[in-house]
Amino acid sequence: MNGSSAAAVVTRGLVKQHGQGHGGVRAVDEIDLEVPQGQTLAVMGPSGCGKSTLLHLLGGLERPDGGEVWLAGRRIDTLSERALARMRRRSVGFVFQGFHLMEELTAAENVELPALLAGRSRRQARRRAGRLLDQVGLTARARHLPSQLSGGQRQRVAVARALVNDPLVVLADEPTGNLDTAATHDVLRIFGELRSAGQTFVIVTHDERVAATADRLISMRDGMFVDDLRMAAARPRGLGGLIGLGD
Amino acid sequence: MGSLVLVPRLVLADVRRHRLQAAMLLLAVTVATATMALGLSLNGVSDALYEQTRAATAGPDVVVLSGEPGPAATSALSSLARAPEVTAHHGPYRIVYADLAVHGRTSNVVVHGFAEKPGAVNRPLTTSGHWVRPGGTVLERGFATALGVGVGDRVTIAGRSYPVVGIAVTAATSVYPGAAQIGPGGAGSDYSGLAWMTRPDAKALASAHDLPVTVALDLALRDPARADAFREAHRDPDLRLTFRSWRFTAAQDLNLLKDSQPILIVGSWLIGFLAITGVAALAAGRAAEQTRRAGLLKAVGAGPGLIATVLLTEYLALALAGDALGLLIAQLSVPAIASPTDSRIGDAAGPGTAAVVTATLLAVAVAVLSTLRPTLRARRTATVTALTATAHRPRHRPRLTALSALLPTPLLLGLRLTARRPGRAVLQACSTATTVIAIVALLTLHAQTERGYGLGGSSVLPNLRGEHDRRLMLAVAVLLITLAVVNTVTFTWTTAMEAEANMAVARTLGATPGQITAGLSAAQLLPTLPGAVLGVPLGDGLLSLFAARNAVQAPSSWLLAAVLATLVATAALTALPARLAARRPVARALSAEAA
Repeated sequence: MNGSSAAAVVTRGLVKQHGQGHGGVRAVDEIDLEVPQGQTLAVMGPSGCGKSTLLHLLGGLERPDGGEVWLAGRRIDTLSERALARMRRRSVGFVFQGFHLMEELTAAENVELPALLAGRSRRQARRRAGRLLDQVGLTARARHLPSQLSGGQRQRVAVARALVNDPLVVLADEPTGNLDTAATHDVLRIFGELRSAGQTFVIVTHDERVAATADRLISMRDGMFVDDLRMAAARPRGLGGLIGLGD
Repeated sequence: MGSLVLVPRLVLADVRRHRLQAAMLLLAVTVATATMALGLSLNGVSDALYEQTRAATAGPDVVVLSGEPGPAATSALSSLARAPEVTAHHGPYRIVYADLAVHGRTSNVVVHGFAEKPGAVNRPLTTSGHWVRPGGTVLERGFATALGVGVGDRVTIAGRSYPVVGIAVTAATSVYPGAAQIGPGGAGSDYSGLAWMTRPDAKALASAHDLPVTVALDLALRDPARADAFREAHRDPDLRLTFRSWRFTAAQDLNLLKDSQPILIVGSWLIGFLAITGVAALAAGRAAEQTRRAGLLKAVGAGPGLIATVLLTEYLALALAGDALGLLIAQLSVPAIASPTDSRIGDAAGPGTAAVVTATLLAVAVAVLSTLRPTLRARRTATVTALTATAHRPRHRPRLTALSALLPTPLLLGLRLTARRPGRAVLQACSTATTVIAIVALLTLHAQTERGYGLGGSSVLPNLRGEHDRRLMLAVAVLLITLAVVNTVTFTWTTAMEAEANMAVARTLGATPGQITAGLSAAQLLPTLPGAVLGVPLGDGLLSLFAARNAVQAPSSWLLAAVLATLVATAALTALPARLAARRPVARALSAEAA
């Protein structure tokens, strides 16, 4: 069995346990998931329900204790660390709640970094970073250090960095968790534009405004999916209306 | 009173939490102070051993030698024996120049013809066997040890076999191989051992083989301090007499240790420097934690004085404990180091007051210099800021970032990691340069050609001074390299821990564990390269301050190999901690950073 050819991400019977024996907790418990290309999937649930662990498993940052993970038709849970790293370079972009930007690098240099790791020339990396910073509205801030940027601007830099290698899927872990309303609006606007362009997203969030922008909403509890809601009907509504900010 | 309880309690708690750092400081200070105390003790110990041997053997205040034996010399020496400043004398006696062979080894030997019953002055002390008797010989202890000869063995002197009936020491001559104070005819002397025979045996030996002979007279003066004045007062313009005062002989003993002192003293400074760099790197790695700790103390009412006391006391206490250990080691090892021959007897006193004070100052300097900055920072930081202190934020370095973008991923990561902590890179470079200085010194010592103590300069009897210097240099180099190894591992691990979040982010962006490992190693290798290259001229320069005029430099190929070996060793040493750090779970590092 392999993942559906149209699916960007597939899991089968995915298990991840933290701790061992009686004290062990199944953070992810027998999860089957299929995310088609171009879909935006939001995963919600209380703290500690296993959302972030699921995201780490999908991106190959942690290895499952059982089950399979497929990305673009390729099984990744059996790959070596080296192959996983190559896969992340090409196929996955991460966006974190805490931004995780390199403090000593400018916004542009942070965005260039994955392109350089992927072996692109400095010129190519710079050109690509410039385009993406323009796309997220930060051309004027390209030479600023993270400490000179607001939270929303930092997260937009992180989004641009996640996209620099044209990933198959963007995995976002509480991308608006540290942002105020205006910054959340900015980030969701960018996500909306990318989704329109066919970018696949898996977004872990506590924020219902973020979840409301997704094509599909999965609720998680104790490591398992407890609800799977298709939200196609919601999409025609304006973004601002959806997130309660007004257009 | 409360502070008196609080400070030790906080210090002990912190030492328990950071045992590795405490052990490293203790080790570094122990090694540095032991080496320093040894270096400073050599003069005193050598003098003390000479004095004890002199007292035990009724050592002469002046030995007068004539290279031309004959009635004139005998008359002149007898006249000196009757001089008013002289209270007792021994001789004149015959000194015969011969060669000695045993166990396939041959050496020059000077044979002193002595009475079977020792006189009032220069009574050699037999340490095994008994004093000379007809047909037998007594060997000086340093000479016997070098030859590997004991009582009951037979030695061949000028072709005739003699039983060794005793082993003895004397303060009348310099330590082995300086027994021949003048050569035949008053010329310069070669390396020689000392043997005693009865007067008739010495006379028979000389006449049977027509061997060169000189005569000597041992004198005890009313005022030994005026030995040099006695020589000036009794110069004979018609006869060439050589006067050797007890002070001259004591000073000659130190010749054997001429290079030992700079090796130990300079070595101790280098070891102290490495100790400071290593401990400073560890302390810098803990700066944020120390600042938070200071913030906590301030929050519960501690003043700046108490905070400084708590932070400095830990390092000072450890440094002083290391100092005490170092001084103990110096005391135990000083006899072996200060007396490379067995020619002297007595107990070597431990390090003197000056050595103890200087070594303690070194220990305190290591503690204060390595912790002053974090202590001041913790003391000055406002309480609220201190409580939320994070690791020092690295500076943006646009040129370096642009340059690194042109490099392969491991070098890109390595260069950027190096740039995050330029101070640490400088410490790593200095640490490497210090190690290479020691290696250059070791190689240069091994490149020297030296005369052995065997007959005609043969190395069947090795040059004790050269061997002693090389052994000491090897010991100092091993200590320096050990500390440098600990430093390199510490630097790598501290760099890895500080950059853990950044490296985890790089992993999420597609860097492989291998690239992270190589990047962390490269971060250490980049400063190691200039450090190793700089260490060669620095080592040469330092050696030129102490080396003899005819000293030769180590071949360039050896030095190049040393630099390359240092780089390879650093790469190997950094590989393990870098690999361990690169394999830490990414998700955990990111979660910790987010928290």
